Amino acid sequence: MLRKRLFLEHNFDKLKFYSTIVALFILISAHCQEKSSTDLIKSEFEKFPMAIRTDLNFKKAYAFFLENEYDSTLVYSHHFIVSHGSNDKYSNYCHFFRAMSFRKKQLFSQSRKEFEMLPKSFPLYINAKMEMGTIALELGNYSKALGYFLDAKGFPQEDQRNFKKSIIYHNIGLCYLHLEKFDESEKYLLESLSLQEKEGDTMLLIGSYMDIANLYYEQYKDDLAIPFFERAYTLSKKTKNFELKQNAALNMAVVEENRKDYLKSIAYRKEYEIWNDSINDQNKILAVAELETKFISEKKQKEIEILEKDNSIKKAQLNSFIYSSVLLSLLAVLLFYFYRSKRKVNKIILAQKVTLDALNDTKDRLFSIVSHDLRSNVNAIDKNNSKLSESFETKEYDEIGPQIEQGNALTNSTKAMLDNMLNWALLQTEQMYFQQEDLSLRSIVNHVTHNYEPLLSSKNIALKIDIPPSMFVYADSESLKIVFRNVIDNAIKFSDAGDQISIYTNVQSDSHCQLIIEDTGSGMSNDVITDLLGQSKVGSKKINKERTGLGLHLCQSMMLKNEGGLDIESEENVGTKLIFSIPLTKVYE
Amino acid sequence: MNKINILIIEDLKSESEPLVDLLTKNGFNVVAVAENFKDAIKVFYEEPIDLLIIDVFLSGVPDGITFAETISTVPGSLKPFIFLTSSKDRKIFDRAKLTSPFSFLMKPFNELEVLYAIEMALEKFYDQGMALTGETKNAVINDDHVFVKKNKSLKKISIADILYVEVEQRYCNIYTDSDRYVVLISLVKIAAMFEEHSFIRTHRNYLVNSKMIEEIILNEDTIILKGKHSVPLSDNYKKLTKQFNLLS
Repeated sequence: MLRKRLFLEHNFDKLKFYSTIVALFILISAHCQEKSSTDLIKSEFEKFPMAIRTDLNFKKAYAFFLENEYDSTLVYSHHFIVSHGSNDKYSNYCHFFRAMSFRKKQLFSQSRKEFEMLPKSFPLYINAKMEMGTIALELGNYSKALGYFLDAKGFPQEDQRNFKKSIIYHNIGLCYLHLEKFDESEKYLLESLSLQEKEGDTMLLIGSYMDIANLYYEQYKDDLAIPFFERAYTLSKKTKNFELKQNAALNMAVVEENRKDYLKSIAYRKEYEIWNDSINDQNKILAVAELETKFISEKKQKEIEILEKDNSIKKAQLNSFIYSSVLLSLLAVLLFYFYRSKRKVNKIILAQKVTLDALNDTKDRLFSIVSHDLRSNVNAIDKNNSKLSESFETKEYDEIGPQIEQGNALTNSTKAMLDNMLNWALLQTEQMYFQQEDLSLRSIVNHVTHNYEPLLSSKNIALKIDIPPSMFVYADSESLKIVFRNVIDNAIKFSDAGDQISIYTNVQSDSHCQLIIEDTGSGMSNDVITDLLGQSKVGSKKINKERTGLGLHLCQSMMLKNEGGLDIESEENVGTKLIFSIPLTKVYE
Repeated sequence: MNKINILIIEDLKSESEPLVDLLTKNGFNVVAVAENFKDAIKVFYEEPIDLLIIDVFLSGVPDGITFAETISTVPGSLKPFIFLTSSKDRKIFDRAKLTSPFSFLMKPFNELEVLYAIEMALEKFYDQGMALTGETKNAVINDDHVFVKKNKSLKKISIADILYVEVEQRYCNIYTDSDRYVVLISLVKIAAMFEEHSFIRTHRNYLVNSKMIEEIILNEDTIILKGKHSVPLSDNYKKLTKQFNLLS
């Protein structure tokens, strides 16, 4: 009766520790299971083909699983399953990882689902069964748990190699205990105990002792129960597990209390309290340490955040600086480009303006010559022709001879003027063919004077040419001839019978020679010479009736173009000396 | 025989007639006056021509240039040529200049200018400097002819017709059966140019056309050439005569 009361009194206590025991055992056995599972996975992983071992998702899922990073494991195992399909041989491992991870995260129904996906051929199938059983046990679903454990027991011996058979037996025993099938429970627990005694795992052994003790205690078989409690207590002293020590002590306290040995009971209670305190202390220390590390890490985190923010600000500043400088330089380049192109355009426009002005000038001069000089010459020819026909009609034959001669002279001078005008226009508009080459100066002069021989002899003017045959100049032959023609023309025009024209050379320097055309004609005053040479506008001023200045201007331009020069020395009534400077051939013998 | 053959391409008789007179007077042989492109091509390929005088404009179009371009494209057929033009228009010259070597003659021209232009064209064509226009006694030598001035007129001597060359100071006298030409050139230079025509040295001052040798009289150190011309044979060069199969 008293017992009963006592029992009832302690019923709450008893039930409480009872469930503690169960939970504790599950913890221990689960730990064992887990250890055996991971060992197995590790050994299996070594056998996997390289392709899977180097698969990024699988590798990460595996690594995170081993490091108990369950969230990451879930993520990467999911990636692997998605990429390889749910039924892949290696996806099963991922399912297993996921099931274990869910279990750790207390998501039992998810965990069970994942476990149920595993086929029987999966090497860890038995582990999965055990895990499912443990889950059911933890959820208090004992009959279901029993089913899983019995399934596990039913596996062939070699499949159970990963497991301590004792654990399976023990778990079955526990299930029966909860289902209050004491006979079955006793059978399995004792079987498990005998196996564990062989294995010598202290923790499991303590658990088993306590479970068996509870089994008997539950059935009021105190005599059988107490030795187990005592064994559990003595063994617990050897372990470092506070919870085990505590529970063993509590059990002993309850037992002594029931035996009315209150002193002993109190002693056990005290021990229980000590262990409880130790657990609390340990927990506190752990909590403080945890808090400390958490605090430090938070602090660090904050520092990192601050630094990161600093960094990002600096980066942003740097970036904006770079962008703005690039933009600015681009702008500068663009501006410079526009400025240059504008300047170029301006230059071109200016050059064009100058050319246009020159061309316009040329045109104006041509017009003035045509309108004045050419027109007066043609008029003179016209008048002469009228006179001639008049003389012919009136049969004044004596006058016809000189009139024809005069007509010829007029035609010749007009032709010369026309030639000069044309050449000058060509030169001004750069349409003249101009090619400097090596020329025998003597030949060129001879070619020009050849045409004047009849005129010279008729006017009784002597011509003396003295140019060494080895004198070679570098010039454009046609322009040189035009110049000589003009000058000789002029020399003849201003010479009278008995005068002499001499053409000779004078080596001036290494690069140039001088050609001198000298006459003993009427000559010119210095004023006329300066007028002629300095005159920039042809035909602007008529020097005398025979001179327009066009010829001399043409000569000057052409000599300049030939990289030479032209000079005049003259004395009235003594003669004129034209001095040409002409570039010599670079190499000549 | 020794006249230079000239083809004139000119459409206006008033222009070509004085030119033909002038050339004939100066000892040139005007083979023909072609008045258009087609005739010019025909004559050019049928007759032996040494030089061409081409008017740039034929009936108002620059066919003269086209003709020069045409004969320039056939390798080996090109001969020295001179363009006749009355305009210094650069556009025309720029096109004509592409046919090289380029010589031209401006209208109106006088006798001296024509002769000078011919000499210039020959010099330029055979790339021999100022050989003729330099007014020294020089010659233009091509593969089988020598162009040389004699009495102010230009002559063409076939190298195969030369009997021998004799050195006299700085000058060489070139002898053919009927004539003698004086050229300012060294014997060494002329020997090098005539080598492929089988000319040999028989004396320090003599270069003989071996094909013209009729008799070698070793006792008198004399070689008798065609037309009874005789040249001396010196001891130093006697060994060279061994290449002939001597009977003595």
